[in-house]
Amino acid sequence: MRRIIVGKADEIPAGGRKIIVPFRGRAGIGIFNVKGKFYALRNICPHKRGPLCTGEVGGRSRAQAPPSVTGGFVGFEREGEILRCPWHAWLFDIATGKCLVDPNLRVKTYPIIVDGDDLIVDVEVSDFIAEG
Amino acid sequence: MAQTIDKLEQIHIGKKGAAPIAAPGWTANAADGVKLVDCDVHHNYRQPEDLLPYLPKFYQEHLLDQGLHLPGSGYANSPYRRTRTDLKDPELKEREFNFSLEFTQKELLDRWNIDFALLTGPPTFYAYAGLPDPDWAAALCTAFNDYTIEHWLGRDPRVVNAILLAPNDPALAVKEIHRLAQRKDTVAVMMPMLTPHLYGKRVYHPIWEACAEHDLPVVSHIGGDSPGSTPTPAGFPSYYMESRMTRPCLASAQAASLICEGVFEVFPNLKFAMIEVQQMWAAPLMWHMDADWKAIGDQTPWLKRLPSEYFREHIRVGTQPMHEPPKSEQIYQMLEMLRADETLVFCTDFPHWDWNDPVTVLPKLDEHRRRRIFAENALDMLRITDDMIEAVVA
Repeated sequence: MRRIIVGKADEIPAGGRKIIVPFRGRAGIGIFNVKGKFYALRNICPHKRGPLCTGEVGGRSRAQAPPSVTGGFVGFEREGEILRCPWHAWLFDIATGKCLVDPNLRVKTYPIIVDGDDLIVDVEVSDFIAEG
Repeated sequence: MAQTIDKLEQIHIGKKGAAPIAAPGWTANAADGVKLVDCDVHHNYRQPEDLLPYLPKFYQEHLLDQGLHLPGSGYANSPYRRTRTDLKDPELKEREFNFSLEFTQKELLDRWNIDFALLTGPPTFYAYAGLPDPDWAAALCTAFNDYTIEHWLGRDPRVVNAILLAPNDPALAVKEIHRLAQRKDTVAVMMPMLTPHLYGKRVYHPIWEACAEHDLPVVSHIGGDSPGSTPTPAGFPSYYMESRMTRPCLASAQAASLICEGVFEVFPNLKFAMIEVQQMWAAPLMWHMDADWKAIGDQTPWLKRLPSEYFREHIRVGTQPMHEPPKSEQIYQMLEMLRADETLVFCTDFPHWDWNDPVTVLPKLDEHRRRRIFAENALDMLRITDDMIEAVVA
């Protein structure tokens, strides 16, 4: 386990992100600010190893019943809390790392703390070796 | 105690390349020969006006006055926000974004060690097949082909081209084949799969004849949708996902048409690849056709061999999109049924959201199938000559 200062808290405003590569030649970590709380996710999608943290942050659509029943109303929820992988578009919960379309998958998350101005992440060095 | 790392490396989305620093690369050695051929790489112009230099004045005015006015059906294309957003400038509003050879070299060819990449153009553009004016459709194809020649070809021996053809007037398509067939980098022709008539119909035979004459295979990619061409006999699906599920039905119909009309009896060296329509449908199609041929083959007595034999010799299917069954080993059983070592060619569909990379798509192939699917089936099909291979592996 290594404890790494990944940046300053005010570098990443709410809704923003920063992707850093702490160990050269290895996959990075995405640091996300979701409504004032920080989260750190491994930048490898557990589905097909795409660069997950570079995907779009948004929400997801929601419907209680088909449009034939609801009169066409489709809702939207969790704006800003969900990450969509740029390869194949699978959805992930930023706060937990859980994949929202496959319950067997989750992306690795790392503890992150704000110490003064510093954002500090605890990482496992071995996680950042790209699998061949 | 927290560690501060000087100059922490940072990844910027859509600008400096946002793929993992260590992409899980394909570590082929150049001396080993051709290891990886990608039969579906979508390239594009930046804006329709880029085609102006390649259009006659009459059609320049047409484009400036009316735009491309391609008759899209509403869901044929990948949704804008779900192209590969890791590679796309977030400010960019267009759906397609692979505008340059340099981008393709960096993000596809170099990163994944691809030996040959077949350019197939933008599927958004394939709607020319649904244009009512056959001359406008043909002029657009000619302009796009000339744009490709000037901006994409002749600078990297790995990049080869499938010239775009409009099926709207077969005589004009034939003319375009003869115009560009002598170029070495023309290694195939591309026609969208949703056509006004099934591919076996004799209205298209002059196109197949010209392809056979020049030893060019047909690479038919899904697309060509227009308000007049329903993806199913029961009309239009409501949703994009639904429309994607109709693709194997269309591909099956096109394959059966080519076989039943005797196209491969008439043109024994013609090869025909069906791209981005899935692939596993072909196994039961071959079985069903063989069974029917034994029972009612006297209705089509010009078919001298089992339908599956025509398929295995002449028709190819692309890997993308590859299924992901709950038990991953099932995919390899399906490949066996498909005779994938003869029929399957690798495709990335770069740079779309549903692309397949070469490393994770079929990771447990035996060496024979791996060579056949990732390289040899495509090399046998495309008009790639030995000196072109030498230029790539040297």
